[in-house]
Amino acid sequence: MISFGLDEEQQLIQDNVRKFAEERLWPRIRETEAARELPAALVEEAHGLGLRTLSVPEQAGGQGLGLVTACLVEEQLAWGDASACYALGGAGALVSLVVELGDAGQHLDVLSRFTADDGAGRRGALAFGESSPAAAAGMRTTAEETGMGWLIEGDKAFVVNGGVADRYVVVAQVDPSRGWDGLGAFVVPGDARGVSPGSRRRSLGLDAAHIADVSFDGVRVPETARLAGGDDFGGALLRGLARHSLLTAARCVGVAQRAFELTRDYCAERTAFGKPIGHFQAVAFDVADRLIDVEGARWMVWKAAADWDTSSAPRLGDVASACAHASEAALRCGDTAVQLHGGAGFVRDFAVEKLFRDARQLSLMATSAEALGQIVAEEELGRPHDLAALLPTTDIQPVCL
Amino acid sequence: MGIDFTLSDRQRTLRDLVRTFAASIVRPISLQADRDKQVPEDLLLKIQMMGASMASMGGVRAELGGDDGGEAPTDKKPKSTNRTVMIAAEEMGWGDASVLLSLPGPGLGGPPVRSHGTAEQKKRFFSIFDDPTQLRWGSYGLTEPGAGSDVAAIQTTCRRDGDSWVLNGTKCYITNGARASWVVIFATVDPSLGRAGHRAFVVEQGTPGFSVGKIEDKLGLRASQTVELVLEDCRVPADNLLGGDERYAERAKAGFMAAMQTFDSTRPMVGIIAVGIGRAAYEHARDFVRDRYILTRPVPRYRVIADRLAQMKRRLDAARLLCWRAAWMADLGIPNSREASMAKAAGAQAAVSACTEAIDIVGAHGLFEDGEHALLCKWFRDIKVFDIFEGTGQIQRIVISKRLFEGLRGF
Repeated sequence: MISFGLDEEQQLIQDNVRKFAEERLWPRIRETEAARELPAALVEEAHGLGLRTLSVPEQAGGQGLGLVTACLVEEQLAWGDASACYALGGAGALVSLVVELGDAGQHLDVLSRFTADDGAGRRGALAFGESSPAAAAGMRTTAEETGMGWLIEGDKAFVVNGGVADRYVVVAQVDPSRGWDGLGAFVVPGDARGVSPGSRRRSLGLDAAHIADVSFDGVRVPETARLAGGDDFGGALLRGLARHSLLTAARCVGVAQRAFELTRDYCAERTAFGKPIGHFQAVAFDVADRLIDVEGARWMVWKAAADWDTSSAPRLGDVASACAHASEAALRCGDTAVQLHGGAGFVRDFAVEKLFRDARQLSLMATSAEALGQIVAEEELGRPHDLAALLPTTDIQPVCL
Repeated sequence: MGIDFTLSDRQRTLRDLVRTFAASIVRPISLQADRDKQVPEDLLLKIQMMGASMASMGGVRAELGGDDGGEAPTDKKPKSTNRTVMIAAEEMGWGDASVLLSLPGPGLGGPPVRSHGTAEQKKRFFSIFDDPTQLRWGSYGLTEPGAGSDVAAIQTTCRRDGDSWVLNGTKCYITNGARASWVVIFATVDPSLGRAGHRAFVVEQGTPGFSVGKIEDKLGLRASQTVELVLEDCRVPADNLLGGDERYAERAKAGFMAAMQTFDSTRPMVGIIAVGIGRAAYEHARDFVRDRYILTRPVPRYRVIADRLAQMKRRLDAARLLCWRAAWMADLGIPNSREASMAKAAGAQAAVSACTEAIDIVGAHGLFEDGEHALLCKWFRDIKVFDIFEGTGQIQRIVISKRLFEGLRGF
């Protein structure tokens, strides 16, 4: 039966994370931004609360909670500070990929490093994008079977947690003759010989996220490092990316909500022509429309997550719709926030310029708007998913993963 | 309860039933009804009989404000009528919104009678709908030539005279007004009192001084009856003052409240009907692209269309959820004026743009009333009013704004 109410466990988790976000993250957003990281004690605290490992399967030490709960958590964290979703550590996009592509043994081997009591400082990363396209369809980074495992060679760009990751999932070309269908995924330890990260990059928003390019020069990993993805690697890869995208969409909702709240409050206080500016229809209607954007996006994310949790074969189109809607909501709310704050929106004394930047960057942190539209259209038109058009590759709109 | 978006078994059955009915019975007569400017009575009777036979599972009639046809509320389980109505109304909107608006039953007149009428009034005015072999309508008369969005400005007057009230004025754009057995008419004892002067009456067909004026010719929803009602020294028994004298003694603005509270339940419904029409247009455009576009053509040309389809779909999906959310709140008894307006605003907006885009996608084909895309042309005409009636898009935003900013004056 249709219900928009949280159950007791969800409510408890949401309340706790909200409190954490309000008390521990929000008051220090500028400090976090300047330091480009969170204090270790805070990272430890989040780890203790299990905030970064909610959806890791129980056998790997996680809580095995569904995507609905994970989305509730991500939204609240992002409402506190979107960059904290990255700076609090954890395995990041790697979790989604390992969950979808790995077998039970790999779940345990890889993910338990992050759920362990001493796992607070460990980061995971997904090395996917590349800075320039390959000559033929597929990736420039290759993985070659050596008889004793795999040899990985290539350069990856825009890697979230690049350079600080304990484990990478590297996506590489295994069979060059098969183009985008010839990819493979491999777990690579951060300290493996040949892994060399570039310097940390300065980004538009999400300042505390650690983003760097990473080179893999003749990196050798054992046979067991390959994440096979069951019978359908391409499908599993899309699911992994979709899962990560949905969590990112929940962050968009959190940013949108915060931007909406700050805007409403500002418009209620700021006076012009003798009354609060919110009492002018041109202003109030914009704020009202942003509420419609935020809530519409939230319900879309919840529904996609709930469907995923209850279905054996989640519809990627619905996930893509939710992601596109959430991204649009964040962009609009960020933009309206700056616009209605006027000059105050442009200066750093107010938080909205940061939200505006974070919103812009969040929408390129998982899947491009371009790819999301394609996923929906292909599903609606009854066409098989075309990896070439959907993967966040260098050909069109690369993203940070 | 937990976050949940699955339909109950009964809702799924209802949805499938209404969807099949809409596709196989309603759609085929849709264009002719539009040209004839009326829905065949035998079809309405068929729907009514069907509704009566499935009253136990949330009848179709309930969605226009009839008596609770959903699962009965119990102490443990909140009622689900409003949510169930969302499911059925979307499918009927997808079939033909004019048919939906023409369905017999109390219509918009239902909510004010149910929430503000005395027990005696409820019995008297609802009992006429008991016989499923008879077509009977109720209606709602609020809008006037000089008072649309500004409800407080109504000029229709009412004056107490002994055991009755004497009403004078003109109501316009009244759905099913000419065939309604009774109409809830809003009037004022003194226009200078504003909202506090409002009174709601149930005026019965045949009352001397109560007549039908102009029958409107419209852009869309042509098969739905929209009329002007004229009250000239129309004498209404005091028993027909909705809620009785006591109600107004207790609450000065009871009349205005009766007018406004109607919208808390009907706005999400109007929003979801719009989503149904928008979905129809979207599916039409999608199928056109699927069947007519050469999908092997170079990707860049195809991407633009794909993006437009994706955007149409997700805006409708988001609007549907906003409607469901408002309905869920109504079922749980949570005040939902703000959410009802959000639902209505979003549904209308998403659907208007879906219909506009759909015409754009099929191109010139979509401009002709006699071609294979005639329905799309009709939906484009039909949808516009969804951003106008039951409160324009601007009024919805005022309702939302009033709940965001305290103390709005002269807004």
